[in-house]
Amino acid sequence: MKKRWGIIFTALSLAPAMAIEPEVFLENYCHSCHDEWEQKGDLRLDQLDALPLEVRLDVFNKVQEQLYFGQMPPKKKKKQPSVSERKEMLVWVAGELKKRNASTLEDKLRYPDYGNYVDHEKLFSGEIKEKPFTPSRRWLVSPQIFIERVNAVFGLEGKERQRTFYGVTVPIILPDHAGVRYYDTTTLDGGHLLTMLTNADWISRKQLREARVKNGELKANEFENPKDKWRPGNTPEAFSVIVTQKSAPSETEMASAIHAQYQCVLQRQASEEELKNHLALLKESIALGGNTEGLRQMLVSVLLKSEFMYRLEFGDGELDQEGRRKLSPREASYAIAYALSDRNPDEALVKAAEEGRLNTREDYRREVLRLLKDEKAFLGEVDPTVNGLHLRSHKVSHPKINRFFREFFGYPNSTKVFKDTARSGGAFMNSSRGYSGTAGWVTNEADKVVDWVLKEDQDVFEKLLTTDDFFVLHRHNNEEGAKIIASWKAVWEALKDTGWEDDPKKFVVENFERYREVLKAIKITKADDKRTGRDFQRFMQYFKVTFGRGITPATSPWFYHGGQKFSYAEVYSLPKSAGSGPIGGNGKYTDQDYWDFPTAQPFQVRNRKGILTHPAWLVAHSQNTETDPVRRGRWVREKLLAGYVPDVPITVDAQIPEDHHRTLRERLDGVTSKEECWKCHVQMNPLGLTFEVFDDFGRYRLHESLEHPENVLKKGEGKFGAHTYKTKPLNSAGFLEGTGDTALDGEVKDAFELIDRLAKSRRVQQSIIRHAFRYFMGRNEMLSDSQTLIDAEAAYVKSGGSFKMVVLSLLTSDSFIYRKKPIQRNE
Amino acid sequence: MNSRRKFLKQSMLGAGSMALGSGLFAKSTQGNPPKRFIFIHKGNGLFPDALVPPTLSEEELAMEKRKDAFQVELKNHDLPDWMGALNEHKESMTILQGLSGKMCTTGHHTWQSSLGVYKANERLSSIKWATVDFELAKLNPSPLEHIELACFPSGGGNSRGNINGIEKGFSARGPQQPNYAFGSPKVAMQELFKSVLSDKDSQVQYQLERRLLEFAAKNEGGLSEELRGLEKAKVKNYADSIDDIRERNRKMDAMADVIRRHVPKLDEKYFSDDLSTIDRQIGHGEILLSSLISGMTNVVTLTIDELGTRYTGIKDIENENVNLHDVGHNKSVGKFEAVEVREKVRRHHMALVNRVVTRLKETPEDGGTMFDNTMLLYFPDNGETHHSKGTEWPFVVLAGNKVKLDIAGKYLRLPHYGKEGHKTLGNWYTTILNAYGNPIEHYGAIDTGLTDMDQQGPIKGFFG
Repeated sequence: MKKRWGIIFTALSLAPAMAIEPEVFLENYCHSCHDEWEQKGDLRLDQLDALPLEVRLDVFNKVQEQLYFGQMPPKKKKKQPSVSERKEMLVWVAGELKKRNASTLEDKLRYPDYGNYVDHEKLFSGEIKEKPFTPSRRWLVSPQIFIERVNAVFGLEGKERQRTFYGVTVPIILPDHAGVRYYDTTTLDGGHLLTMLTNADWISRKQLREARVKNGELKANEFENPKDKWRPGNTPEAFSVIVTQKSAPSETEMASAIHAQYQCVLQRQASEEELKNHLALLKESIALGGNTEGLRQMLVSVLLKSEFMYRLEFGDGELDQEGRRKLSPREASYAIAYALSDRNPDEALVKAAEEGRLNTREDYRREVLRLLKDEKAFLGEVDPTVNGLHLRSHKVSHPKINRFFREFFGYPNSTKVFKDTARSGGAFMNSSRGYSGTAGWVTNEADKVVDWVLKEDQDVFEKLLTTDDFFVLHRHNNEEGAKIIASWKAVWEALKDTGWEDDPKKFVVENFERYREVLKAIKITKADDKRTGRDFQRFMQYFKVTFGRGITPATSPWFYHGGQKFSYAEVYSLPKSAGSGPIGGNGKYTDQDYWDFPTAQPFQVRNRKGILTHPAWLVAHSQNTETDPVRRGRWVREKLLAGYVPDVPITVDAQIPEDHHRTLRERLDGVTSKEECWKCHVQMNPLGLTFEVFDDFGRYRLHESLEHPENVLKKGEGKFGAHTYKTKPLNSAGFLEGTGDTALDGEVKDAFELIDRLAKSRRVQQSIIRHAFRYFMGRNEMLSDSQTLIDAEAAYVKSGGSFKMVVLSLLTSDSFIYRKKPIQRNE
Repeated sequence: MNSRRKFLKQSMLGAGSMALGSGLFAKSTQGNPPKRFIFIHKGNGLFPDALVPPTLSEEELAMEKRKDAFQVELKNHDLPDWMGALNEHKESMTILQGLSGKMCTTGHHTWQSSLGVYKANERLSSIKWATVDFELAKLNPSPLEHIELACFPSGGGNSRGNINGIEKGFSARGPQQPNYAFGSPKVAMQELFKSVLSDKDSQVQYQLERRLLEFAAKNEGGLSEELRGLEKAKVKNYADSIDDIRERNRKMDAMADVIRRHVPKLDEKYFSDDLSTIDRQIGHGEILLSSLISGMTNVVTLTIDELGTRYTGIKDIENENVNLHDVGHNKSVGKFEAVEVREKVRRHHMALVNRVVTRLKETPEDGGTMFDNTMLLYFPDNGETHHSKGTEWPFVVLAGNKVKLDIAGKYLRLPHYGKEGHKTLGNWYTTILNAYGNPIEHYGAIDTGLTDMDQQGPIKGFFG
């Protein structure tokens, strides 16, 4: 047997001297499951010599991965290799694969799921001396950058800039998961191409439209598609010249047009080779299809270049001693622009690059600080996709920076979770046409909390984790809100004792002139309008149950257009807004306590502590009908504690059994306490179960409803009435392990205590910085990025917790500035 | 679909062979004729009681009224009058009642919901996965994979583009990837049959596009030579995809004689931009038939109308411009009540379905006819009525004798919403997908209001 292994490995290469020979290692630790008889996982390791080299290399890659991730031999196996044996075997397998340039592990480790596999302690230990760099790369543009690139093709600036284009479908989709989503690992494929063919066709037609009008091919008000009347305003002169002349264009004119299209699409001139190639195509196309159509083919051909979809970062200039090159000034201008916004470099960056002022770290620092300080240039909605009826996304100065925290926390995923509205008693409504649902509203409110913390820019991480200052239904800023309430109060005070209630309509008709000024505050400007009586009555009744009871009414009453959308205060465990409710349930006042609306926000909300207790995060990390402690725990483990949990093995059907006599925790414990399950669930359950103090809508609770028809105590009233079920007391105790700080690790009684301890943890601070690194670099950190991360943490601490200083530190780091060519074939 | 585990299982079993290809277009199967699918969906709901055979016994009618499960043989019954055009096809026909679709967007109009079984709306992000017609197209590869035709609405509803153009349609290629549909027979003709059209403009356009792709393939192809691993894939996949399209074009060229034989032969009026809705539907019907018979595609989806499709050319009210949205709100037109107008529209739909089925039955294939291998589904895009709740989602199915489900010749009413044994749109599509080779455990979202019921899996009783 030994001899046969020897043959196999000799066939690959001679093994370096090892304490344990590879064949012995495999025989001792692998063979029992992967031989002729067992072949677990359809893998057989006893006949490698019979396999072609390509297949053998594939098997070696599998072996390398299992050893690297520590997944094999399985932990239940008593016979385990020692740490040094495992390490030696890994080094040997990796060496064999690298010799043949066949290792796939490095590519795999570039994906987001594998970010935390890099040793955390080592990263921050200071022992790594390798200089940071980023491998030379193509990085697919983000959906937002893609739209800005289309804007740039048409030369649209300022208010001309479009958020969407009628004939353009964004071909790039970011994954759904929480955590950094925009990585440099995505590749262009056939799906992108199909979409780009349609996009390029539309863009090229619009580029030529004005010239065709000038040429009499179209009338100024004529549109090939009557639904699509957008026009970019002008056609570049070089194109116009060709479209409007009767004869074939000269070579010079064609060359100008090619350069002009390169400038529009790629913001650079065509190289000599490119010019030659495009010239040939252009000539041929014009000969076949005439000036306009021939020219259009050339425009499309440039738009279809993969470079339009990629950010190119190869580095330029001399190699340093570490084999690194700095980004070229032009590449640097794009890297800085796209780190802080979605747009191509602004004029100042372009100029700095052209004038050779984008080479040194100090140059980077100057430009990054300039853009960070600019509160207006990028001012915009943080996420237009939440927009809908009555809801506009919160505007922020640097949407790109705020988006880091959206991705990191993953709370915008709340909009993708559907729930049964009746279970919430009508407080939670799903998204529908033109409406992003209650989840859209609370997501926007979480955006406001993040922005509020970022604006102060002090102790950012701690505040995001612990603040109980929230925004709820804050549709007017504090000043406007106070004005509205003051004017309404004046109405109430003036009219409350006038007997209005006997016959509101008659009251207005008879007293309109007397109270004309007062009534303006509730938009009653005519005595005899058909809605006057109804509107007056609605306002006054609303005031009666609010001002009349000594509380402040919400500035968005239920009877405003779409008012049923303003009915979700309950998901924050706040009292209901007076009269609010879903469609059909509005305007019914009872003796219950209504919400005393705070016009000045943010305001303190009880039983909340930071984003992890925000309904947006809780809903995003819930299932359709119940909470999701496993996913919540996993989030804490991976995002805050820099830990990792292997994926559910393919052979395991991870289901929590139904049992309407037990709480979710009891049911979960029942299936995850088995040894083989617990080895992973111990990383998640003790963290995630602490959040059981919130239900799946994000409402604070002490008891869990056992939602099952057999447990109904009282049926809900009406279409959206929630049933009352039997309940069981909650157990939200958990255990924190993994901060590396014995003062913090240990038992916790609930999510609030857990969060308090997490917020004090240095490891949590470092973990957030690791994720920020990934967001701004578009990749996982490597051990060689150690100094960059150490510097970023120091910048955070030194600045009193400023995230802007973290960003500045990252964008002036070697990891950002330097590129290193990956090892190529035959090198 | 519901979990990574399930996804992996299904992708390994079902789509695995696809994943090994270069990506864009799968290779055609050799030998047996392909299976074909025609999805025809309509707007404004389809009243379940309009589909009930008038000759049911009193007892059966009582069950129908209570929405209890039962089935009868159609050969023993008359079809409702408006379905008279299909009398000849009763043995191949199924009227399927009792499915629900509350996991879809319901109400007025629903975009991809009825084909994708999820809550779709105008937001691209609401497209969760490929619609069922695309899943079937993957199982039955063809040069063009899938063709979508639509009578787009102009009076409200989705999608809101140029009714004569190529606009976002009602099917989806994958998550957040809407498909594009041909709005008029003219534009469909120009795009699908341009390789064999004899007019000069079409030929020039065709040649220009070919050259452009050749150019792009040459330019992108060289970029990956010096790279490896992921960096190589970043440019190679794109270049390969350009080659895939060129390969597809080569196949279309090779089929030119067959395609030329089946170019739709329609009167000039059908290729006008200003044609009546009825003519538009007839024109689309011809494109549908030609593309299937020529072998360009094996799956066609036709939005025969939608919420706000403005109808012109309806029998007896030919000169009226009827907004079906208004009809849905019970507006009468001329001397006809809304319900009568709806019936006239459906009657025309049935005539079109008959035309498609008859033509396929007349087309020989493999010792039988093309219809033997075809399944046509006619259904509403939003459920049981104009303002639907999704508690019912009726289907009329016509299928040849080589299809893989045992439901032909029946009126089938399944247990009503919430009752034991109730089935959803997801169960129905899972059944079809499973029968045709996609082993997915469950296709579609689940109904959060039916949590005490096992909603997963196919309708086992339907398997032959």
